[in-house]
Amino acid sequence: MATGAKVAVYMKDNILFTDRFLKGRRGVHLALEERAILENAISEVRTIDARTTIVSAGQTLSNSTLLIDGFMCRYLDDKEGMRQLVAVQVPGDFVDLHAYPLRTLDHDVATLTAATVAIVPHRALDGINANKPELTRKLWFSTLLDAAIHRAWLFRLGRLDAVGRVAHFLSETNARLQPVGLSDGKRFAFGVTQNDIAEICGITNVHANRVLRQLREEGLCVFRSSLVDILDVKGLARRGQFSPDYLYIDAGPQHSSNESHSS
Amino acid sequence: MSADPPIAGTQTQPGIASAEDGLVLLDGPDGIAVTMTAHAASETGKSLIEAAQRAEHWPEPDA
Repeated sequence: MATGAKVAVYMKDNILFTDRFLKGRRGVHLALEERAILENAISEVRTIDARTTIVSAGQTLSNSTLLIDGFMCRYLDDKEGMRQLVAVQVPGDFVDLHAYPLRTLDHDVATLTAATVAIVPHRALDGINANKPELTRKLWFSTLLDAAIHRAWLFRLGRLDAVGRVAHFLSETNARLQPVGLSDGKRFAFGVTQNDIAEICGITNVHANRVLRQLREEGLCVFRSSLVDILDVKGLARRGQFSPDYLYIDAGPQHSSNESHSS
Repeated sequence: MSADPPIAGTQTQPGIASAEDGLVLLDGPDGIAVTMTAHAASETGKSLIEAAQRAEHWPEPDA
């Protein structure tokens, strides 16, 4: 649960809650004024335990959630209670921004690891929507980026075998974490379980175990103790038919900075 | 057997089955990643062989 002390710690360290939002994405660098508006739109910061459902399908929502730290997911359960993850959210993601126009979601949202989130009331988004069209476009970009990642998710499950699915997912996660400074390009902390990998990739836990062993034996990737170590970035991407184009990552010189001044 | 090329999307490479922890894993062709019990795998295998034999002699003679 959020505490004032938690907020104070973040501010003392001069870390903005929105620091990772859209960071390193092409054509959506946040102006300082826009960042300030987003920061002021936050009503509360919460820390949430791992494996906690924060939004249930059908629930009426008046807030959206910006993920500051940790990993979250969106999921659906089948009639037998078997879970299929349909999205993984990384720090900087506006996890359920689409709840702003939709008001209710068709899936559940939960933490995978312990997480810190910023709560943005929809009434604050109303103000941005009414007065800041360029910032609204950037928020829209964020939800369209989610849609692009969903398309890749469909491709992964529809066209790839088990090894390909895991290779694609780990390549994608590496590519998403790099712009927000959480991967050095081949190594990142990822506190999910082998069972999570299975639910993400639509395979069983036994299958996931075999696939991860195979990736290790082929010298492509090691997933162990909440750490992913990609030994051959290009080889893993090739095995998963992964190309990062759909992530709209900025390869330009301003990649490391997500701020510009308003014109 | 028909010499015509397969229609788009038809797999021409076989999947690979393996045993792991008392279960059968079927990998590929692309898009396929299934775990089955030994019984389910055995029955699926029989069904696949029967269907393959019918497909090889297509069109089937009138009953």
